[in-house]
Amino acid sequence: MIPEALKRELLERTARAEHPREMAVDVMYALQGYYGYMSDEAMEEAAEIVGMTPLELEELATFYDFIYRRPVGRYVIRVCDSAVCWMEGYQSVVDHLTSRLGIGLGDTTADGLFSLIPVCCIGYCDRAPAMLINRKVYGELTPEKIDRILQKLATGKPAAGEE
Amino acid sequence: MPRLVIDDLQIEVPEGTKVIEAAERLGIMIPRFCYHKALGSAGACRMCAVKFIHGPFKGLQMSCMIDAQDGMVVSTTDEEAVAFRRQVIEWLMMNHPHDCPVCDEGGQCLLQDETVSGGHGLRRYPGRKRTYHDQYLGEFIAHEMNRCIHCYRCSRFYQDFAGYRDLGPMQIANRVYFGRFRDGPLESPFAGNLVDICPTGVYTDRSSRYKARRWDLQRVPFLCIHCSLGCSTVASARYREVVRIEARFNESVNGHFICDRGRFAYPYANLADRPRRARVDGEDASLAEAVRAASGRLDQISMNAGPDAVALVASDRCSLETLAVLKRISREKGWRHPAVFPRPDLEHKTRRAVSRLDRRLAVSMRELESADFILAVGIDPVHEAPMLALALRQAFREDAGIVVMDPRPVSAPFDFDHVAIAPAEIGGCLSRITEALSALQADSAAQGKETRRPEAAGPLRADLDSRIAGIVERLRGSRNPVIVCGTDIVRDSTPDRAADLARLLLQLKARPCLFFVLPGPNSFGAVLLAESPGRSFSDVVQDIEQGKVKALLVVESDPFKNFPDRERLERALDRLDLLAAMDYLPTSVVGRAHIVLPTCTVFECGGSFINQEGRVQRVEPVHEGGIPVHQVSGGGHPPRVFSHEVPGGEIEAAWRTALEVAGYTNARDNLSILKIMAEEHPGFARCRDIPTSRSFRVLPDAGDRPPVCEETGDRAAPEAADTLEVVLVDRFFGTEELSGYSPVIQNADSEPLVFLHVRDAEPLGIAHSDWISIALEGGGLEVRAGVSAQMAEGVLVIPRHRLLEWQKLGPVPAQIPFGRISRAGKE
Repeated sequence: MIPEALKRELLERTARAEHPREMAVDVMYALQGYYGYMSDEAMEEAAEIVGMTPLELEELATFYDFIYRRPVGRYVIRVCDSAVCWMEGYQSVVDHLTSRLGIGLGDTTADGLFSLIPVCCIGYCDRAPAMLINRKVYGELTPEKIDRILQKLATGKPAAGEE
Repeated sequence: MPRLVIDDLQIEVPEGTKVIEAAERLGIMIPRFCYHKALGSAGACRMCAVKFIHGPFKGLQMSCMIDAQDGMVVSTTDEEAVAFRRQVIEWLMMNHPHDCPVCDEGGQCLLQDETVSGGHGLRRYPGRKRTYHDQYLGEFIAHEMNRCIHCYRCSRFYQDFAGYRDLGPMQIANRVYFGRFRDGPLESPFAGNLVDICPTGVYTDRSSRYKARRWDLQRVPFLCIHCSLGCSTVASARYREVVRIEARFNESVNGHFICDRGRFAYPYANLADRPRRARVDGEDASLAEAVRAASGRLDQISMNAGPDAVALVASDRCSLETLAVLKRISREKGWRHPAVFPRPDLEHKTRRAVSRLDRRLAVSMRELESADFILAVGIDPVHEAPMLALALRQAFREDAGIVVMDPRPVSAPFDFDHVAIAPAEIGGCLSRITEALSALQADSAAQGKETRRPEAAGPLRADLDSRIAGIVERLRGSRNPVIVCGTDIVRDSTPDRAADLARLLLQLKARPCLFFVLPGPNSFGAVLLAESPGRSFSDVVQDIEQGKVKALLVVESDPFKNFPDRERLERALDRLDLLAAMDYLPTSVVGRAHIVLPTCTVFECGGSFINQEGRVQRVEPVHEGGIPVHQVSGGGHPPRVFSHEVPGGEIEAAWRTALEVAGYTNARDNLSILKIMAEEHPGFARCRDIPTSRSFRVLPDAGDRPPVCEETGDRAAPEAADTLEVVLVDRFFGTEELSGYSPVIQNADSEPLVFLHVRDAEPLGIAHSDWISIALEGGGLEVRAGVSAQMAEGVLVIPRHRLLEWQKLGPVPAQIPFGRISRAGKE
């Protein structure tokens, strides 16, 4: 269960919306922020808040890349696989990431630090190839640059998502 | 109207017709998956591509997405279109499993047909196929997602058309999955239609799984007899067993779909304990012997005690043929006319409804869908006439306003304003609406004159005033309003009041506007054939107790199902010199009868029924009758003994046996049932000219005038605040007689709840789903309570559920003091 205060806040925000279902993604985001991912129970809680059925919310959650229905690592790395990034070396970025992290696309490292997911697209085409880690964007990626970023995140220096 | 050319054939179609539809009118079936007449276009499957040669569109286009327009020239056989469709079907088949040999859809599969018609034969893609986990979707429907081709028909039907919200598309792209949030029974009472609309075998009928291929079945256009709407179905039988019911398109009644009760109720016809052998005094006998015995004893009693000592009992599940014959023989023999209705009020209300309906007033269910305002009174659509709820939903989707005036916690797949008032208040509200509307009409007709305000017709609550005024305004403002009126829970005069309002609306809007829902599949026919005023079964019981009736012939009716006092009925039946029962169900009466004459179900002998709008529909038998082969053989090979007789095959339609009991010889050969029907009611003369599976309405040009000061049985709302009025109601499952025998429905049925308003429940300390006990004269009733704020106060809504001994409540309307209701210790 989410804290009562958060629930109250979400209910109030939902009540202010013209149509409660407008708030579906925001509410799921808030619950995901609290739990780390959307469990089945979290889905049901969110559904109750926005007055939709869990199925209706699931239709959205499983369609939209940024809602996680399974636990993810502390840093979620989304590699852009849109056409421009693909032309500019997406494959080598993915190859480098998978070999460095020792995981495939869609997986999470054993230490729970990194998850690797493809995404299409993050609008960073002018600086392709690009990736997004939590909420920070990185462009013009090279193997060296990727190593530096991973190193920084793994050693606990300022976390990329908290800027 | 646009005129276009498709494959060198010219056709003119109404504005807005899609090209795929125009082609179909020419007999050209353009391949399709996502397009469905009832669901419209989606443009999802790309299968209906055709070549546009001239006109506003050029080149390859989806024929389901483009309206037919003047000057179009279209080719469905153009090389480019054919090649495109071949590729579409090839990639749709890429992930489809080759499990046709074990798939129930095999042989009736659109995907198979379109694969062949698309010209795809050899698989080129060598990769792995996508696979899914299937879900448990309840007792009715099996789920096999690997077969899915993503046409979205299921979710469009389930959510958009039917309005339920627990099945839909999830995931994205190649992984799209149709299912529920988690395993569990589908909530929609129309979910069975998924079986019909799925173009392949994702959803199949569990009740008929692995039983037969379509081409092995005896399939007949059929009729549903599980409520008064009379929806069209296709019934299928194999090896003397009914195995499957599907929806059949009917442009006047049910459209493309049926409800799950109609689809899954059929197993009553296959019961192992169905009466199959005639019995005389507990001994098996041939049908002829039993008929002779019944005939002789009835004549004996007629002679000794007078023909009036013989009473007939029938029910509204009897066919028109049976009811007509019973009327004929009772008249000729001087026996009592058959009592059809279990309660006098039900007969009265049905009679009033039928007599008020006429050609100008009656609305068909399809016409109802185009109404722009609907006032439904005394009806809980999903439970009493399920397909009506789906029709109302279609009106709602076209922005019709819907008001439901009913005491129950009505829930339906559309938005409506619920005026939750007690049954006694409904009639008064209708009268006030009628008065206000005609006063307004008179005002506008004679402007300048002093306005006459309608006086309140009864002591109604003040808060109702504004709601009534709102309804009056909406009726005035609508072009095509319809009044829907139930006949079960309402007071005796309510059907008349509904008809009064409808007549006024007919004057104002010049459109048909009245839709009654009747108690059973042939209630309409029963009152057309009944004497007036008819006797109900309770009168018969009284006469048995007074010794006036000595013999009872019960025809396809189970008095125990409805009679309030079981012990009293048992005592009365014990007094009889002769109890003869004709039925195809193993009822309690069949169990106690001196003479049992088994009859055929409608699957085995066909029959005619009149639905609630006066539509006579006749169907032919699906199979010849007899005990199902697997019951005879115990699941093994059928007996290797040669015989001309079919085991259990001597059973006949009830009307034939009834004629023989009445002494007509050679009833099988020489009597024309159509002649008898026409003689018993002139309206049925047309039955002779109408082919089966066509229908006609038996409605007069003008219905009865409103009755003069007929107020029978109407009482004001109870004054006493310390009682609750019992309202006995039907439910989707569990209360209808025939479907109650279906094991699959018994498994799917949920626990019956007795509903009361939250303000009535609170002082008693009762919360939702608490066990409560209701103390009655004939013992207590323990049941789970439902507590709702969306219902009338002062009523106790009790389902006539087969697991509840509601009969103990006695004749309704009954009042139960609060003191008799308490929380039970049971958890």
